[in-house]
Amino acid sequence: MKGNIIKYPRDNIDTDVIIPGQYLKVHDYAELATHAMEGLDPDFHSKVKEGDFILSGKNFGCGSSREHAPIALSHCGVKAILALSFARIFYRNSVDGAFLLPIEIDQDAYDGISEGDEIDIDVSKNEIKNITKNQTYKMKPFSEIIGKIIAAGGLFKYKPDQD
Amino acid sequence: MGKTLFEKIWESHVVVEKQNEPDLIYIDRHLVHEVTSPQAFDGLRMNNRKVRRPDLTIATMDHNVPTTDRSLPMLDQTSSIQIKTLENNCKDFGIKLFDIDSPNQGIVHVIGPQLGITLPGSTIVCGDSHTSTHGAFGALALGIGTSEVEHVLASQTLWLEKPKTFEVRVEGKRTNTHAVTAKDIILSIIKNIGTAGGTGTVIEYRGEGISDLSMDQRMTICNMSIEGGARAGLIAPDEKTFDYLRNREYTPKNYESLVDSWRDDLKTDSDATFDKQFILDINDITPQVSWGTNPGMTCDVDEPIPSPDEFSNGDPNQKKGAEKALEYMDLKPGTMIEDIKIDRVFIGSCTNARLEDLIEASKIIQGQKVASNVSAMVVPGSQMVKKQAEQMGLDKIFTDANFEWREAGCSMCLGMNPDILSPGERCASTSNRNFEGRQGNGGRTHLVSPVMAAAAAIHGHFVDVRKLDLN
Repeated sequence: MKGNIIKYPRDNIDTDVIIPGQYLKVHDYAELATHAMEGLDPDFHSKVKEGDFILSGKNFGCGSSREHAPIALSHCGVKAILALSFARIFYRNSVDGAFLLPIEIDQDAYDGISEGDEIDIDVSKNEIKNITKNQTYKMKPFSEIIGKIIAAGGLFKYKPDQD
Repeated sequence: MGKTLFEKIWESHVVVEKQNEPDLIYIDRHLVHEVTSPQAFDGLRMNNRKVRRPDLTIATMDHNVPTTDRSLPMLDQTSSIQIKTLENNCKDFGIKLFDIDSPNQGIVHVIGPQLGITLPGSTIVCGDSHTSTHGAFGALALGIGTSEVEHVLASQTLWLEKPKTFEVRVEGKRTNTHAVTAKDIILSIIKNIGTAGGTGTVIEYRGEGISDLSMDQRMTICNMSIEGGARAGLIAPDEKTFDYLRNREYTPKNYESLVDSWRDDLKTDSDATFDKQFILDINDITPQVSWGTNPGMTCDVDEPIPSPDEFSNGDPNQKKGAEKALEYMDLKPGTMIEDIKIDRVFIGSCTNARLEDLIEASKIIQGQKVASNVSAMVVPGSQMVKKQAEQMGLDKIFTDANFEWREAGCSMCLGMNPDILSPGERCASTSNRNFEGRQGNGGRTHLVSPVMAAAAAIHGHFVDVRKLDLN
């Protein structure tokens, strides 16, 4: 999966800046998407392209349980978030609805990848290639359940293995 | 080896357990509100599914309800539609709803315990991160997203990864229990462990500093577990817990026999071990005030605001975060907390809008007036809290001091209804999140206890409430 990076080099990007509370009444996802990241970066909607990835620091998606956060980002075309760590509800919301991939990265990837870099994520190898800089980093493998929910295409498509 | 309270509750709710698979966990109570449920009900309809256990599902509207006169029509059409949608969904699927006119309406985490719906040893979920509040009763209470809401509506279960265990031991005794509150304890904990300190864990709060607390205070502690990154917070039930839940509207008929079993079962064994531990000594703890844009950016009331270097301990992202926070909050390192002037005061939210919070705040303001540069409001956590407070005459104390006295709801905690800050306004707030824009675009939030908020309202700036005569 290839895409370009939009980098927010900070920790604790919360769901209130990803989608401010006033928009939780909006049920049209295309309209919701126009307000994504509005609290943090008012230019986000004009610069994001289909297939982009967001890169950020620790505890991405902390705060509210609003599933509107991954929904708004995915409807802007964002396919994955690369972060040093994630808040758990955001993390589960991202995969439950098959909105986007939450990818945990290490400090090397965080430091090595810059705004605009073209990245290729290979989940089967747990590998991230930086095409722009010709570097390769490891991603943290998904846990059993997360991997299975992603492979199934969301929580409602997941069925446990039959004995 | 012994087991922790969390492990006992978890194990008693596992429906399906297989190696290398998540556990399927049974859910005893599902609380539903208007904001995170519409898509879940739509999903049920699309797939011709019913609500599996409407009798275990309870709904109310809290996030975007107006807190002004409810006999007037709602001006915000989109909120009105969301409220109407919940009414229709509850009707269609046979779910008990406490609607906007119900005497039981209120913030979902305030009414659950008040109605005796929250029970020790049970599993509780709600599409809201502050579901952790119910852990104060020894319930495993998890905030979930809308896909999971739909999953619970359809199946009364959830696929979950078993969280790790985290003991937060609160030792010692507060010297001034009126001035130093449960809010100050939990803000201190988060300041120390960090906003991601509890990631992937369920916290059990233990020790003398916790057992000394009332149920209202314990709920304040568990409420903010999510602000420390935890999946949930728990406190083992004791006689205070059992007394609180006795004779509530929905307390089970066989309550006393349940209490007997809870007394024996719902505690961490003496030889159990936790994956992680943090100890807070509260003998010298002071009132806490947040200065930044996450709850970990908090300091003592008698401290100056730290510089980004002091705050970050050499972590470049933490430093950058502190710089951005100070810029957003329009504050300078070295400024004393008591020198910060405020524009607004909000006493409310699922963190601090219970009867005891209002009683303590009213003691501060009795016979005084809100400073001329400040506008202040009290939003009781539920209509029941509001009624109890009015029976005690608290509404009069607040309105005589020029506080607004509102109807129950989430209100200015998250800025979904008209109760919001204007850009640049600075608020002393008893809520749980000081994120950028949380209380309104450009608004600046300082998280404090109800007594600190009340004192700030009267003086127009933060005041160390330990200096006031509170008895």
